[in-house]
Amino acid sequence: MVTEFEPRIVAFMCNWCTYAAADTAGVSRMQQPPNVLPIRVMCSGRVSPEMVLRTFRAGADGVLVMGCHIGDCHYSSGNHRTAKRVPLLRNLLSYAGINPDRLRLAWVSGAEAPRFVEVTNEFIETIRALGPLSQEVTE
Amino acid sequence: MIEEIRKVVAERLEELDGVVVLRKSSEGVAPHLFRKGDDLSELEIVPRYPLMTVVSKLHKAFPDIRLGVVARGCDERAFVEMAKRNQIDPERLSIIGFACTAEEAQECYCDEPYPQHLVVGTPPPPGPPNPLVAKCDALPLDERRAFWKHQFLKCLKCYGCRNICPECFCEACAMEDAAWVEPGLLAPPFPVFHLIRAMHMASRCVACRQCELTCPAHIPLTVLYDLMRRDMETLLGYVPGADMAAPPPLSVTLDETPLLVGTSHLE
Repeated sequence: MVTEFEPRIVAFMCNWCTYAAADTAGVSRMQQPPNVLPIRVMCSGRVSPEMVLRTFRAGADGVLVMGCHIGDCHYSSGNHRTAKRVPLLRNLLSYAGINPDRLRLAWVSGAEAPRFVEVTNEFIETIRALGPLSQEVTE
Repeated sequence: MIEEIRKVVAERLEELDGVVVLRKSSEGVAPHLFRKGDDLSELEIVPRYPLMTVVSKLHKAFPDIRLGVVARGCDERAFVEMAKRNQIDPERLSIIGFACTAEEAQECYCDEPYPQHLVVGTPPPPGPPNPLVAKCDALPLDERRAFWKHQFLKCLKCYGCRNICPECFCEACAMEDAAWVEPGLLAPPFPVFHLIRAMHMASRCVACRQCELTCPAHIPLTVLYDLMRRDMETLLGYVPGADMAAPPPLSVTLDETPLLVGTSHLE
């Protein structure tokens, strides 16, 4: 039996902005597919390259990193580091032959529940089109 | 060249506590701390060796020691990145720089085969870029992956690349942390092991190529690091080892070191 591929996505969300947006989206009963596993971190700047790579290694097909908009970071400049780190890591993934679109950075404030739903749904479709990563990593 | 270096070292030893450089003995060539009055005929400059690691250890163990070091271009660049991260005290180090030979520059694909504090020798022409970089760049994603997976499959996980690297001085290494790299796997797990190192090298790698020389499996590691160096320059305008005043860009805010391209995601 051939089962349709369902993307497994891990979303690292900042405690102060994106997690609140995700919470609001849930409370407001906005429809979302169950493909996203949320991991709450205190700041998007906490998401180290090791964490992202390990997440891919552990079987995620896509990784979302979401935090406060630039200028709104609870810790002033935590997300500045994220803003520099993620583009570099995306390039590194592509040098190693992993599609960089499997890693996405998005700023979602606490007031942007509809945007949270839009970003995650769009990402799920991107990953669905790319197919499972396990093919790229293991075989 | 080496005679001139011996002369300068003898002069500097009048004022310094010692000079770090290689020494040739019946047992081979090894790093050595020459003191005033030592026999400088044993002083050696070949092969290339990351002497700044030795300087760093001496600076940490002896907080008052004033040292000299005989340095190539890559040694000096390594010094710059180490000093920024408090591994060497620039106030207590005097650099005796010498230029590499044209052949060495070729071998190393070195674009700056001489130090800024050039004391002995004349700068040779820079080496060509590593042809493998352009070759990897031109490959489609699946072939790149096949290429690197084949390379990483050869890895013995000896940590030689990390151990020889002058810029690898963390007390706790992410490549040994079971939280990131599952222990007991050979070849080490893809993509974590080698990509963690490549990412950590991004703002530090000074292209001394010691990792690749050391690697018993002949993995072309510097191709990956050269690509990261290129990104650091295009994305953040940062060239590791070039400027003591430039802060490590990944540790500071966007106001201090802004992203130069690909800023659409910042909106």
